[in-house]
Formats: sequence, structure tokens, C-alpha cells
Amino acid sequence: MVESRWLRRLVPVVAVFGSVVAAVSTTTGAPPAAWIPPACAGPPGPGPGGIGAWYRLDPVITDGVRTGQRLTVGRAATDAPASIDLGPESFASGPFGGTVLAGTDDGRSSRLSLVDLAAGCAWAVAEAVDVVRHAAIAPDGRSIVEFRVDRRTRADLGVWARPLDGAPPGRVLGPLESDPRFGPTWLTELSWSDDGRTLVVESCGEVACRFRLVDPTTGDSSLVADPLLGGLVGVAEERIIARGACRGLPCPVVSVDRGGGRPVILADAAGQAVLATDEAGRAVVVHERDVDGRVVSAVRPDGTDARPIPVAVDDRRLVGPAAWAGGAVDHPPGWVVFGPDGRLPVAEGQSAVLRRIPDGRTVTIDEVLR
Amino acid sequence: MRQSLSPVARLARPVIVVAVLVASAPAASAHAPDPSLGGSLFGQNQVLEFRWRSGSVPPPELRTAIRAAADDSNDTRASRAATFAYDAAGASVIGYGTGTCGVNGIGCFTRSAPTSFTMWLREHGRAFDWGTLRWCQMQSTPTNGCYDAETITLDEFGHVEILGHHVNYADERDYTDAVVQTVSRSRPKTGYNMHFYGPCDTATLQMKYDVTTLSSPYSSCLDLVTVVTLGFSDTSLPHGGAVDVTALLRVATNTGYGRLSANPIGARTIRLQRRAIGSTTWTNLVTLPHASPTGTYRATIRLYGTADFRTTFATPTSEGLRGDTSSTVRVTVAPCTANCPQPGIEP
Repeated sequence: MVESRWLRRLVPVVAVFGSVVAAVSTTTGAPPAAWIPPACAGPPGPGPGGIGAWYRLDPVITDGVRTGQRLTVGRAATDAPASIDLGPESFASGPFGGTVLAGTDDGRSSRLSLVDLAAGCAWAVAEAVDVVRHAAIAPDGRSIVEFRVDRRTRADLGVWARPLDGAPPGRVLGPLESDPRFGPTWLTELSWSDDGRTLVVESCGEVACRFRLVDPTTGDSSLVADPLLGGLVGVAEERIIARGACRGLPCPVVSVDRGGGRPVILADAAGQAVLATDEAGRAVVVHERDVDGRVVSAVRPDGTDARPIPVAVDDRRLVGPAAWAGGAVDHPPGWVVFGPDGRLPVAEGQSAVLRRIPDGRTVTIDEVLR
Repeated sequence: MRQSLSPVARLARPVIVVAVLVASAPAASAHAPDPSLGGSLFGQNQVLEFRWRSGSVPPPELRTAIRAAADDSNDTRASRAATFAYDAAGASVIGYGTGTCGVNGIGCFTRSAPTSFTMWLREHGRAFDWGTLRWCQMQSTPTNGCYDAETITLDEFGHVEILGHHVNYADERDYTDAVVQTVSRSRPKTGYNMHFYGPCDTATLQMKYDVTTLSSPYSSCLDLVTVVTLGFSDTSLPHGGAVDVTALLRVATNTGYGRLSANPIGARTIRLQRRAIGSTTWTNLVTLPHASPTGTYRATIRLYGTADFRTTFATPTSEGLRGDTSSTVRVTVAPCTANCPQPGIEP
């Protein structure tokens, strides 16, 4: 059952997605004119808060060929969303405190911009001769970590840290050694553990992924290289939660103690899965127990305290990690997001909802709290 | 404490390698049937109709390749696995572009057996760490490094059926034993344009969905124990008496064989062998013709002396069945008392 007024009174912090709906009218029919954000004043960096900020990345395909990407950004219940045209080799990450980090490569250099959604502007935060494949803002908001490859050879150049104060970047991690069990690396993604203390470098072959966990205070890193592990769900409580090395769904969700030990199978044939926090602020892995998403459960990273989350039967699916959903939204803890096809909606007539852990109370997106 | 990556922390430290084994991983060995995915099966010979995903329709070159892959799957499944057919109103959808493939490189699927499936293929020109994805079909003259969309789609159709990734030998000399692979090959590597299921793909399809008919070949990637039996209509005959000989050939009963367990096996070569009393040498007597019902082999022979008999099914060189020999049956033939024919046996 969908509720709104109830939540409007009791949980005023849930104020997301309004502009996702607004995006409907701007992304159907003729493509809207691309937004070129003006330069922001002052030092770059994420701000406080940021609940409701969201982004979605879609390829622009012309005659079957990717010719670019369109980054759609917005804030819930405030502004109309805006779309930014990026090159065919580009990425986005975030939201980080009301900002979205976007990178695009024009064949000669990679440029990184930090888009401030509230101010409607962007900082040009980096330009690199190497190809910056992915980047993320550090939890303290003072630096960017970026993964680079060589422009000519596409060789792995490692992970670099770039202070936002303009100091020169330095390398954090060297290249990942090749391993035939994983094949060539297709995607490298950077993220942070749920407590913000560990940088997670996820390097995926065509199907299976390796994980390097980096302590930014010491520079120490550890590698988890198991060809039976696939994409990252998240890192919490000293455990890596990942998919099995599957080409599709359903697929297991596995929890691995980063210090070793026996893995725990959280779900043996799950649909979408995402790391979230429950009503008590504890990390939980929320996952669809079937590929159709009709049954959803939450379980602690160590496999304990599994419990169902009531969900309405509709066409919405659990919105997974950004790599799966092609976007993300900053929303309050204790809730998870459901959208059409497991993505944030941009098509007319579609909407996303929030469902609360553990009771599944549902808030429509078009009745957003302010 | 949250802390950014300061330049101080960038220096490379010794990397600690943590090897992890996932306990629930399917136990498959090289040149073994593909592991199978979890979840339900589709119906035997169920027709899965697919359409193009609205707003993410593949370009014409890819649509042609996808349809060809559907035909490849249908034509080479060597089993009663589901078939695929394009239908504009199909319940299953195939899209082109980003989709929700997660970190999967080249494509992905979902299977909701027994009702439908979805599939996505990444778009031509998408940049990955190693370079830019190119579909051979999208190039007027395919260049090395391109991926064959028909092969990749066939891999995905195999997943939709139930197949997991084949486990290759370390040197991958058995790569073409399966088209459903963890690591896809690009042009011109062997297997990059494999347009048929390999024997280790069909092995699992057969175990899950059964062979096409009870006389169809079993995948050479299988190693199924068979059981051949022998029976006589009478084991005590007058001299020169006729007797019906019946052999039964079937797959051994084994839950690990899935739907193949205890299958009768038709249209194979079953030989009746004879051993004289006191001899240790078996000689071929006759090949028993296949009869009805399937798996039954029968002949009528005339016997002129007591002997031991057995049937043999020799291990085939072209399919995954182990040979077997029946237990021995002694048939007693009474001595001749008058008008004795020439010694010997007339089948």
C-alpha cells in the first residue's frame, strides 16, 4: 500500500525524487537542449546535506553506435532536472553532498567537473592527459580519487588521489596485475565502504571482479581475487558483499570477510541487491529473492537477521548500486528505492518510490516532502 | 574517522593477497558439462518469443545477428530445451544499450522461468578500460578485436536456458567445447564466431531438458554409465530349438544425470556373444536389431548346443555413453537324438 500523508507528517526528511518525475517531461519527445552549467564561485567541494540529489546516465546511440552520454541531474522537489551532454567515454558518480562528479574524455584529455545541483553550477576540477575512467569524491570532500588508463595503450595506470585544493595528484595504487582467470579488465569502479574509512577499487573482467581495499590513512591495501565473485554490492562491517560471477540474474549474493574466512551466501539466486541501513542504522543487504522482484528481504552482512520487506506488486524493481542502475539518488537511511526496471525514471508516466525498512511503507515520488 | 587520500597515503604498500573460495560454487571440472544456474527450467521445447525493447531497439545488424543466434540455439540444442523465436508481441524483451547489466562487460540477461527472459547487449562504441567495444556485425569489414554478436547472443541464450559458464582447462584447449564462456573471445581468436552449442553446453541441456528422442546421440561431454541386460524366452531348449533373445539398453539410474537417468537408449549396436562351455573366449554371434519399445533389442535364434551368452554395448567413440556388458546367461540345449543337423549355430 502506498502512503504519503502519513509520512509527510512523521518523516519530513524524506524529500527526494520530485525532480525525477519532473524529468519525465523534459526527456521525452525531442531531446531537450543540453545544459552547460556556469562556473561555480569559490573552492570546489560537496556541501552539507544533499538529500534528494540524483543523477542518471544514459548512452546516446546514433545508428547503433554510441556517440555520447547524457547525464541527467536534479534535486527532489526543487528544480527541473537538467541534462548535460558528455562524450562517448564518460562517467558520473555520486551524489556527494549535493554534487555529482562527471568526467568526459574528448580523445585528447579527460576533464572532470563537479556539478553543484543546488547552485546550478559546476567546477572544473581536473584535466588529465591520461584517460580518467572513473572517479569519486573522498568522504571528507577534500579530494578526488580517480582511476586512469594510458591513452594510447589503455594500460592500467593505477588509482590517483587529487586534492581539491589544487595540489598535484599522487598515485595511491599501482596497476592491477593481469590474471587470466579474470581476463582483460572491462570496468574499474571506485567507491567507499559504508563507514567511509576504506576505498574500494573494483576491477571487473567480463564477468568476474577483483577488489582492492585501501586504507587511506596508511596506504595499505589488500586484494580479494576470487573468480567466483562478480560486481560489488558494498563494503560494510569489514565484509565485502558482492554478486556471484554471473552474466545475469538471478545470481547469488555473497558476503566475504575481508580478512579471510568462510564466505557467507546471503542469497543463492537473487535479483537486484543493494547495501542499505535499517531502522536501527545497521547495515543490511536488501535483495530481491526472485528475479521478478516480488519478494524482497533484508539480511545483515554476516548473514544473520534475515527478514522480509513487504513490497507492493507493481512494475518497480529495487534500484541497485549505481553500476547497475546507471545512476543514484541521495536518500535518507532506513529506506530503499524502487523504480521501473530498477532505475531512476526519466520516461513519461513512470515514477520511483521509497520503501521503508523493515515494514515496506511506501511513499510515492510525486508526493514529496518539503 | 573519514579521511581523504592524502598524497602521503599514495605510496604503494605491500599488497596482501587474500584468496577466497566461495563455498557454494558449482563443482565443475574441465571438459565437464557446463554448470547450471539456479532457478527453474523452462518447459521442454517451450517456445520463448522475444521482441525488441521499446526505446532500446538493437540496430538492424544486431537484430539480424540476434535472430541468427536464436536459430543457432534452436538448431544445435541437441535436446528438448526451449526454443527462441522473434515475435513482435513476445513476452521476452531484448534491448541494446546500457540496461541493467551492472559491471558485466558485454551483455547480460535475466531469466524468469517458465515465463520469460530479458537480454541486453552493450552498444557499439562503448568504452571500457581495455578499449572500445566493437561488434563485428557493425563493421563493413570486421577488424581484429571485434566481438561476434551472434556468438555472444548464443552465449546469452544458453544462460537463459539454464547454462552457467563452462570451466575450461588451464590452457583453454577445450574452449570450443562450449560457447557459454566466462571470457568471450574477439576476432580472430579460435571460437570467437562459434555459432553452435558445444558438446559441454548440450550435455547440460540434455540433463536438464532430456535428449530430443530416445534414440538421439548423447553429448560427447557426458560420461554416462549404461546398463545392458539380456534375457531369453527359454533357457532350456531342445536341440535346434528357437528362442527369443531380448536385450535392454538404458542409461543407469543416477540422480546426477537429471532427466537422462534411466533413459532407454535406442538405435545403438548391441551384440550377442557366445562362449562355449569350458572356454574363456567370447565370440560375436549376432547384432540384435533395435525393436519396440525404444531401448529394446530383439532377435530369434536357433541353438544347437549348450553355451553361455551375454550382450555387449561397446563404448561409442562419438557420444558420452560408457559401454556395458550384461551378466551371463547359460542356455542348456538338449543333445540331438535323431536327424541331427550339422553342428553349429544358426541364428
